Amino acid sequence: MVSNVLYHCPCLSASSVPPPPHLESSAYSFHPLHTLFFCEECDAVRCNRCVSVEVSGYYCPNCLFEVPSASVRAEKNRCARNCFMCPNCRNTLSVVPSDPPDAGDGRLSAPISTVGEPPFFLYCNHCRWDSSEVGITFEKPTGLAAQLQKLEDYAPESLEFDRLKEHFEPILPAASAALARDIPGVAKYTPHARSGRPSGKDRSANKDEMPEYKSRLDINHASTYGSGGGDVDVELMRRLEDVSEIASLEQRWNYSWSTSLETRDLKPLRIPLHSKRSKRCPACTHILIKPEQKAQSVRYKIKLVAANYLPAITVALPHQIEMLGHISAEAAKRSTKAPVDDDKDTRGGLQAGKTYPFHMSLTNPLYDPIQVRLSVQRMHVAAAVSSGEGGTIDKARRPPFAISIPTTPFSVAPFAEAWEYEDDEEMFGLDDDELEARLSGREKEPKPRSKTVGILEKRANVTVVGGEVALGKEARGEVKFNMLVAYTYRSDDPAPSEGHDISPSKKAALETKTFAFYTVVDLGNIIPKEEARIDPYDV
Amino acid sequence: MAPIRDKFTIHSKAIVCQDVELKGDITIGSGTIVHPKATIFAVAGPIVIGSGCIIEESAIIVNRRKEVMRIGDDNLFEIGCRIEAPSIGFFNTFSTRSRVHHTVRISSFCVIGANCVLAPADDDTLSDYTVVYGPSAERRTWTGKGKIQEADLRRKHAEYLREMLPKFNRLRRGDGT
Repeated sequence: MVSNVLYHCPCLSASSVPPPPHLESSAYSFHPLHTLFFCEECDAVRCNRCVSVEVSGYYCPNCLFEVPSASVRAEKNRCARNCFMCPNCRNTLSVVPSDPPDAGDGRLSAPISTVGEPPFFLYCNHCRWDSSEVGITFEKPTGLAAQLQKLEDYAPESLEFDRLKEHFEPILPAASAALARDIPGVAKYTPHARSGRPSGKDRSANKDEMPEYKSRLDINHASTYGSGGGDVDVELMRRLEDVSEIASLEQRWNYSWSTSLETRDLKPLRIPLHSKRSKRCPACTHILIKPEQKAQSVRYKIKLVAANYLPAITVALPHQIEMLGHISAEAAKRSTKAPVDDDKDTRGGLQAGKTYPFHMSLTNPLYDPIQVRLSVQRMHVAAAVSSGEGGTIDKARRPPFAISIPTTPFSVAPFAEAWEYEDDEEMFGLDDDELEARLSGREKEPKPRSKTVGILEKRANVTVVGGEVALGKEARGEVKFNMLVAYTYRSDDPAPSEGHDISPSKKAALETKTFAFYTVVDLGNIIPKEEARIDPYDV
Repeated sequence: MAPIRDKFTIHSKAIVCQDVELKGDITIGSGTIVHPKATIFAVAGPIVIGSGCIIEESAIIVNRRKEVMRIGDDNLFEIGCRIEAPSIGFFNTFSTRSRVHHTVRISSFCVIGANCVLAPADDDTLSDYTVVYGPSAERRTWTGKGKIQEADLRRKHAEYLREMLPKFNRLRRGDGT
């Protein structure tokens, strides 16, 4: 029931006008402000759907080592150093020495050496799994990768993969140079000299010439090695006593190859690498987001987010806030909560047939003041209200409500540091009193319309404007409307011509830029008039 | 409810800080360390705590049954845990914010993971070396590897606290109420 404002991203479509919000498909074009970017070259909003993403670097989430992209392919997207993942609970494993020989019952006569005693093994601190359960121990606590390398290289899957690579290499055309870049092992072989680029006919001829591939192992026996669904798995299921013997999906899907189904066969995994991504504008390929190279820093070198350019708009229904305040005060007094919920829904919600004021606050992120103009987009309620039944259904889908918001341009002060706003403290004190006076005033006597619709207050770099929504008697559904926000700001011209041009052209040197974007304001669901209880709308 | 009569039997070698809330019949063994802001409520029945235990801040140990709640030696009750188990063995670890209900009896060398809630409907006993972990409190059995190192670490932890805590916190002296 929280009212919010989402911003529209045209996503490179031809028309910048967003779809009407009552349509289901419009939900995908509207985003919260913190997920949007802004391209300065194109002067346009970009969202995560239209932006092009590329990897800027790889790092291990455990040791935070930045892995160069060449080694990424070589190590199969895993950390090459001593970072292992517990197969049981997916936490990081640490290398621990074995216990010293137990002389008595807990009485430690000899001090435990700091280095520890071999054999070393991997140990999970969270679930207390250790690698000796699968038979992996080490003689030295360092260089684990090398010690495990032999084990991994002679696994049947790796051997099979190598054999496949050897088989396909001679068949590839001259484009194998690109392949050599991708798979390091293939570069050793010289590409065959094929005459020119293979045309369609040649390619089919190549296919016929391709020799048959003989796998190392017979496919019928392959199920002994993995969860191929063969007889071995069936036997396993028959012998099953406890469901925890079978490895769960989360435990198994991180492996590169399919492994056996049993929990006790799960081996420690090298930790998969994570990537840092940079994002570009799709139209002009200007970089919008570029993270820092260091893995441990979470900051960005380039950060063109929409929140730094577009004013942040939030919407609130004052009667809801008042209701929540009353409810929390009442709940503090009494202990039962049951009767309060009903009241909250009927009193705090939007009831059909009534008129509610709402407040919209706009926060200016720029260092210059802006002039904002709001306008509600005309919603074309289709004239398909022909027959009786069809008419009521259509009416139910497009709730008739009227929005009135101030249409005159108003200004929002520029952003500045907190101490630069002089009468800040007084304003804050005044705000509560002013708002209370307004709210109580509204209850006592009907105030003239201009008090609820219009600029309500301005403090710091925030301007609050009030609007009104009048709900029709038969209204149902959500109160959502598109709103066009156009704002102009002056950006100082950095040309050094100010010294020469004195009087009138001084103003002309400052550019006035205008930017407009669409938003959708969602005020919540309407509680229809007939029923006081909540009706589930699963239309 | 009968008024709770406070009767604290604290060993002279135990370190109990001033700011601890104690209520009821409580016995604390030698070498046990109770951090400030811990809570031990023997509301209905007495609580007997063994030696070498470490009870950290915001830990709550409550006994709401009439029977004696026996806690063994060398247990570690980490920050924010809430324990109502009627009997606890030795060398257990109750991690941060874990909750153990009064229906569970805990043996030795168990580890209750962080934020795990052990609240079975009927009486349950955790056998030795059980590890409870994960958001859904899955259990598995520890092989016991590394337990000597852990025991050694626990003792060093307790020794360090015995040195450092009195320097920075006021201690509760004697059998005061």
